[in-house]
Formats: sequence, structure tokens, C-alpha cells
Amino acid sequence: MSTVQAQPAPLAEEAPVSLWRDAWYRLKRNRLAIFGLCVIVLLAFVALFGPYLTPYDFLSQDLEARNQAPSLAHLFGTDDLGRDVFSRVVYGTRTAFLVAVVVTAIAIVIGTVLGAVAGFFGNPFDRVIMWLTDVTMSVPNLLLVVVINASLKTPIAQWMEARYLETLNPFYRETVWIDFLLVFGSMALISWPPYARLVRAQVLSIRSRPYITAAQALGLSNRIILTRYVIPNALGPLIVAVSAGLGTAMVLESAFSFLGVGVNPPTPSWGNMISDGLRVWQHYPHLLAAPAAVLGLASVAFSFLGDGLNDALNPRGAK
Amino acid sequence: MMKTENRLLDVKDLTIEIDTRSGPATIVDSIDLHVGKGETLGVVGESGCGKSLTMLSLMRLLPNKIRVAKGEAHFDDRDLQKMSNRELRKVRGGDIGFVFQDPMTSLNPVMRIGDQLAEPLIYHRGMSRKQARERAIELLRLVGIPGPEERIQAYPHELSGGMRQRVMIAIGLACEPKLLIADEPTTALDVTIQAQIIDLVKGLREKLGMSVVWITHDLALIAGLVDRVVVLYAGTVVEDAPVDELYANPRHPYTRGLLASIPKLSDAPASRLNSIGGTPPEPGRRPQGCPFAPRCPLAMDICRTHVPKLEPISAAGSHRAACFAVEKAREAA
Repeated sequence: MSTVQAQPAPLAEEAPVSLWRDAWYRLKRNRLAIFGLCVIVLLAFVALFGPYLTPYDFLSQDLEARNQAPSLAHLFGTDDLGRDVFSRVVYGTRTAFLVAVVVTAIAIVIGTVLGAVAGFFGNPFDRVIMWLTDVTMSVPNLLLVVVINASLKTPIAQWMEARYLETLNPFYRETVWIDFLLVFGSMALISWPPYARLVRAQVLSIRSRPYITAAQALGLSNRIILTRYVIPNALGPLIVAVSAGLGTAMVLESAFSFLGVGVNPPTPSWGNMISDGLRVWQHYPHLLAAPAAVLGLASVAFSFLGDGLNDALNPRGAK
Repeated sequence: MMKTENRLLDVKDLTIEIDTRSGPATIVDSIDLHVGKGETLGVVGESGCGKSLTMLSLMRLLPNKIRVAKGEAHFDDRDLQKMSNRELRKVRGGDIGFVFQDPMTSLNPVMRIGDQLAEPLIYHRGMSRKQARERAIELLRLVGIPGPEERIQAYPHELSGGMRQRVMIAIGLACEPKLLIADEPTTALDVTIQAQIIDLVKGLREKLGMSVVWITHDLALIAGLVDRVVVLYAGTVVEDAPVDELYANPRHPYTRGLLASIPKLSDAPASRLNSIGGTPPEPGRRPQGCPFAPRCPLAMDICRTHVPKLEPISAAGSHRAACFAVEKAREAA
């Protein structure tokens, strides 16, 4: 006999068909979007649990087994130092996700706050913020990142080195995070303007909707109206932009690493693996193919998901 | 005439302008309005005559480029136009409840209706979430929504138009305001629901003892609801009378035109519906004299050069009209 009593479920847990559930229902029927979602979930899993999945350490070199073709022992073969390419691709996934998520998160916070303030409060905020956006967008992305990294990386590394020799504090010895910080910072700095523009446009259109006037007529404060009425209604297009933005950030990180201004070796990144592989691709094509294919897959997956979300969150556009 | 101290809302000489490329244009021209305590006022006029803007201006909620050029609006002896924003926010939703025209777009689509009802209660009455939730259920029951315990979890798109308008009314009533301003609350609803909403507001008004301003373009609809009617034309008050007096003895030619254009069951079958020829003037292109003169069957020379004042035409002074023809007829009598 069951000991569980038939109790009426508490109301709060019982959500009726919400907008989000509706959107999920539409998303489920979009095969490409679901394919993208599966790939992303798989890659995210690999990124999270990478160290438990790899057969080798990404740094361990086996100079006896250099440049080997893919085999059962080395799924994607080995590189010129005899490192297992599969393990390096898995670690590269970590790097790619870390960069993509952190950069996109920073860019969205900056973009949403600036865009919402610009759109909701109007001039003079609008003018200043949009001016800032235009200036940022007018600087070529690559150039800005190269300048930041080239001008700051060496002095900071030297300063850290000097501090370490002075204090022997191990905190100053670890420079990998500086690397990440600069990459995150510079990429976020160039990534926020599109989000700011998107949110501003959304807020401008939402601001004139009757339910905002209705909320004002209820005497609610601007803060409540902005956070509970305006931003939640602007989220749909933002989610789509985020999905596409994550993919873009991954490609961007690879591009920077490829050019040597991103994550520094020996930390594996798809970009620097592609860069290394490109030099020897005529002889060892797998060194180029493996990271390039994974990068391509991830990028396509994010686009598909973004497209699917776009359709799912815009019921008017769907059949 | 009603004594000034009994007035809950007293609007004097209110003028609203819009910025256009050729300079400011007057939309609402020196309107005088008042609502007594416990009184229900109907504000009637065709689309674009400034009914809604007048009400929005009271709460200082006018859209961009439209502003109050002059005038005062006293609510409970405080000037709404001169209040600080902080004071005004307490009045909005707290002392004056607002019900908007379109229930389809006036509710936040991504917020459960229970939360939308709770928001003003938490903000104005300092209730806890739990208290506000219980009060929200009570309010939904008050406006006749079945199964309010489940409905507070619903999103606006899950409710029908009539239900949404009931929710809007519940939100407007949440803090038991002294004045409820309803801006064409039944326009988007079908006729049977319109009658239900009118009955609902009638019942609530008696239960809560509040004043109501009911904006509409439908004279017939509000006959049984309001105490007094103010007829607006092109941003001016053309007639102001107790409701029965207005129906029995309309004086202004515009009011007569409006009443004549209501179809009656006694009309001959297939008879043409009466209408008022022409269109109201655009803001910025108002005629020099009486704004109604170009469409008026009784227009005289003076009407095209001078603007008539709103003058009492009954002994008690409760019936007022702004028309030279009416004045002339009275003098002749």
C-alpha cells in the first residue's frame, strides 16, 4: 500500500502552459535546433568532465610516437611532440567553453545594463551610451585585441615575475589566469555593443507599450518597471543573440589563438591547434582536421540552435 | 452646482499641447472638469477629442512631445501637476486607480496575473508576498473571476478578453482608490461582456464608495451607470449636465448629433442611420471660433469668429453648454 497521501499540490509549483513551455514545444519540433542542442550539450559535458574522459594528459609527450595517424590508441593521432590530439581537443573544448561563456556573460551584463538605461531613460544617457557603442564598434575587433594583448601582456608578466622574485608568493608565479583575464577582458570589450543595441531597440519598442503606461499608472518605481516589466519582455531576442554569440565567441577565441594573441601554448585551444596543424597539413592532415572539425561543429550547432530559438520565441513567425 | 469642498477631483483651465514641426498645437483647450466624492462622471466624445490625454495628464503620464501647457488639477486639495514624483507615485495606483482601454496589451505578458495584482499591494500597502497573494485572490473573486486560487497562476494570454478586463479592473481597485479612472474599458469587448463589466463597476462603486470617471465614445452604454456627463469636442467641454437632463434635453448641437446617431428600436426598418457630417478639426488647424462651427447645423456668424464659453443654462446651474445658438434661444425665450 502506498504511504504517499494524495495531497493537492501546492499552487506555486503548478505552472500552467507558460510562454517558455510554449517556446520549448515549438523548439522540440525543429530538428536542426535539437541537433544543435544535442551537440552543445555533448560538448558542454566534454568541457565539464574533460579530465575524466581523456586517456592521456594533454601535456604528456611521447617522443617515440610523434605525428602518428589516428589509431585506437590515439583516436585523433598524435602531434609533433607526441601529445595525444584527442586529449588536446577535449581540453580545447574546456578553453573554448570557458572563454565563450565568460566573455558572453560579461558582454551581456554590460550590454543589457547600458542598452536598457539608454532605451528607457532616453537622452542624455541614450546619446552618451550610443556614442560609446559606435566608437567601440568602429575600432576593428582584431586590432583592438591585438593592441591590448601586445601592450599589456608582457609588462604584466614582467611585473608578476618581479613580484614573485621579491615575495616568493606562489600566487605571482601562476600566469595562466592572467592570460585568460586578458583574453576575456579584451573580447568582452569588443563583444558588448551588439547586445547594447539589441536591448536598446527592444526597450524602445517595449517602453511605448500600454502595459508600461499601466505599470506607471500603478505608481511602480522605474527600477521595478525596468526589472520586472521591460527586461523580461526584451529577453526573447536576447536569448537568440546569446546562442549565436556563444558560437561567435568560440570562433573569435580560435581566431585570436590562431594569430597568437589568444590563449598561449601550452594551454590547448582549438585555435592554436589549428595554427600548429596548418604548418604541416600536407603531411599530417589530421592535426588540422581534428580541431577544425570540432570548431566547425560547435559553430554550426550554435547557429542552428540560435535559429531554432528565434523561431520558437517568435510565435508570429511560425506556422 | 456642487460645492467646491465636495470635489474629489477639480481640473481647471487644463490645456495640453503637442509639439509638431510647425510649433506647438493645442489638443486640449482650457478644460474645466470636476468629480464629486462618490460621483460617477461620464466623459464622452469621439476618438481623438482628448478624453484619454486629459486623464493621462492628471497622472502626468503623457507620451513624449505632449505636455500640459497650463492649468491645475486638484485631487483631494493637492495639485497633481505640482506634486513631487515621489508623492505622485503614491497617488498613482494608491489613490487613483486606472483601467486601460485594451485588456489585450495593458497586462504584462510575461508576468502571472497574481503577481501583477500583488505588485501595487506590496508597493503601496507594504504587504508581504503572502498577504498580497491572499488579497489578490480576494480581488479576483470580487470582480467575478471563477476559481481565483488557480487563476492567479495564469498568464494574461491564457485568459479571454473579458476576463483580462476584469483583471485590469481588479488591479485598478487593488489599493481601494478614492477615484477609479476607466478609459473606454469596454471598447475591446463584445456587447454581452460590456454589460457585465458595467454592472460589475456599478456594484463595486456602491460597495467601495469610490468616485468613477468613465471615458467612452458610447453615450448609450453609460446611461445607466453615470450621474453626470461631460461632452468633449476637439479638446473643449461643450456640454456638462446630469445624465437624465442630458438625455431628455440635450442643448449643444454636437450632443444632439451624438444622441441622434444612436439607432433606436422604434426607427423605421432600413432607415438611414443619422450621422454628423464632416470630421473634427486636426490639432493645429482649429477654426478661429467655435471648434464645432464648420459641422454645426445652427452655426451663425459669431460662431466663426468667437469661442463660446461654457455657461449655465438651467436655473440650478447644473446644466452647462458652450454654444451661442443655445444662449440666443434662451435669451429669446
